Amino acid sequence: MSTEMRKPGDAPREPARREFFFAGVGALAVATAGFVAATFRFLLPNVLYEPSRRFTIGRPEDFPQGPPTFLPDHRIFVFNGGTEGFYAISSVCTHLGCNVKKGGPGFTCPCHGSQYDENGRVVRGPAPASLPWFELSVTPRAQLLVDQDRIVKPDFRLKV
Amino acid sequence: MMESRPTIRQRIRTEFGRVTKSVMRIGWPQTDKDRAAVMISSIFLHIHPARVSKHALKPSYTLGLGLISAILFGILTLTGLALMLYYVPYPAEAYRSMKDLQFVVTFGVILRNMHRWSAHAMVAVVFFHMCRVFWTGSYKTPREFNWVIGVVLFLLTLLLSFTGYLLPWDQLAFWAITVGTNIAAYAPVVGDQIKFLLLGGHVIGPTTLLRFYVMHCVLLPLAVVMLVSLHIWRVRKDGLSGAIRVDTPVAEKGGAFPASTKTYGLMALTRRPSASVDARDPNDEVFAWPHLLYRELLVTVAVIVALHTVSLLFMAPLESIADPTRTPNPAKAPWYFLGLQELVSHSAFIGGVLVPGLIVLALVALPYLDRGTQGSGRWFAPERRVANTIYTAVVIVAVILTIIGTFFRGPNWGWVWPW
Ligand code: HEM
Ligand code: FES
Repeated sequence: MSTEMRKPGDAPREPARREFFFAGVGALAVATAGFVAATFRFLLPNVLYEPSRRFTIGRPEDFPQGPPTFLPDHRIFVFNGGTEGFYAISSVCTHLGCNVKKGGPGFTCPCHGSQYDENGRVVRGPAPASLPWFELSVTPRAQLLVDQDRIVKPDFRLKV
Repeated sequence: MMESRPTIRQRIRTEFGRVTKSVMRIGWPQTDKDRAAVMISSIFLHIHPARVSKHALKPSYTLGLGLISAILFGILTLTGLALMLYYVPYPAEAYRSMKDLQFVVTFGVILRNMHRWSAHAMVAVVFFHMCRVFWTGSYKTPREFNWVIGVVLFLLTLLLSFTGYLLPWDQLAFWAITVGTNIAAYAPVVGDQIKFLLLGGHVIGPTTLLRFYVMHCVLLPLAVVMLVSLHIWRVRKDGLSGAIRVDTPVAEKGGAFPASTKTYGLMALTRRPSASVDARDPNDEVFAWPHLLYRELLVTVAVIVALHTVSLLFMAPLESIADPTRTPNPAKAPWYFLGLQELVSHSAFIGGVLVPGLIVLALVALPYLDRGTQGSGRWFAPERRVANTIYTAVVIVAVILTIIGTFFRGPNWGWVWPW
């Protein structure tokens, strides 16, 4: 223990009690911080009851050639380029999430007037990025499958 | 002669008097002493000072805007509570319950209109109150922090409005919140996480509605109640700005404890201040009971009557049920965000994050940057010409942007003439 001199009249030091007290308060503070962090994590849902981001949309021959087919529930445009193949473009404006509409050669957004060309590249307006293209594939049962988590380049074509 | 016994009537009166006394303690005040005591002995009245300067009662100084904000918040709480009895926070049910309130529930439509129009009014009135405080320079020492509380209250008011906007689950609601929450996603670094947290997922759905419901009905109102109490309590402690002073304040001595700005002998039970540090003219002051309370009552009644009139004449909008696949053209946010939406139509980051962020920062820092008390307590004091000019310019730009967004923007956010 301490070797320092004690003058008469000094109150006896009680290091053990004080340190114990600090350790206790510290432990409680850490535990409280843990609870707060846990509560924050609680706010992030683990299961999302949302439509799947990977879904089938029907048989290739369901989609006529020419102007794209708009699938409102999935918020995508599906193009049938004939011999060139199929591709799918998102209809969600990259600016603030409104649905773009087919207009002229490309797409226009009703919310703040962004315009995209036929490949979804921004032509005018506040949209910061092009409309994403989603990967298409064919399931064993000859259904077109869209995967919104796989973004592809605008040269993507699915030949069937 | 028989000893006269109290009649039944007298005995009932005494008993009744005893019960009232046990509840009210002071009773209906008859003397100045009681008038002061009644204010400080009630937890609710005690948010007022016992005496106020005549200056504070002048409608031309405050325009009663802070008071009206508080009244509107009270009306919103009561009408909101009533609406909650029928509202179900689940997508299609939510919309159906709005329809019920509109067409089936007796007086439902009036309550809904009241709630909606009070909400709009509160945003406007709180904003005007902030302008009043600015233009009278009332945020200066010692009221700096109360201004900051005010800024938070302004943001809370906007958030309350915004979260309430989703609840009817109609097209207006869905797309306004789509645009609003996507703006949040532009915040640097944590933007996407904030959006995920707000929505409780990637898209607006049942979780989002429940989250907004809880924020709108519990979290935010609680925060507002606490902060408004603090806000008004501080107004009471500091007194309203601009009151006449008879004395220059004595500098705080030794820093032992902060000098009280308002210390009356016996808590204002006497007519003369005994130890007032920041002395006010006692002849300038009147008792809050009845002078302040009477005016508050009058304004409350006027606001309630005005809101009823508006709610009988104008219907709160309810569009078709939310359809995530069909964006209305144009899709507009609530009017008080249309200035921002106009900016956002040029750049989402500048309009949605940078400009509002800087404005809030400037508002919070303002009382600590603009120091000195010259020109405080008067409308448009010439000493404050620079500050007032800057503030007014910002307000005018905001108003112009809002008007453009509201009236001059049509399909595809293209320019239209409203006439
Ligand atoms: C929920 C919103 C609010 C409520 C209910 C409220 C309420 C009040 C009330 C009742 C007063 C007394 C004087 C008067 O009626 O004008 C007051 C004064 C004051 N308010 Fe607010 N207020 C709110 C928002 C704000 C905002 C947004 C600001 C500024 C950013 C602000 C800053 C102040 C200041 C600095 C005072 C003292 C003024 C003086 O002494 O002259 N308040 N408030
Ligand atoms: S959401 Fe499409 S332009 Fe703003």
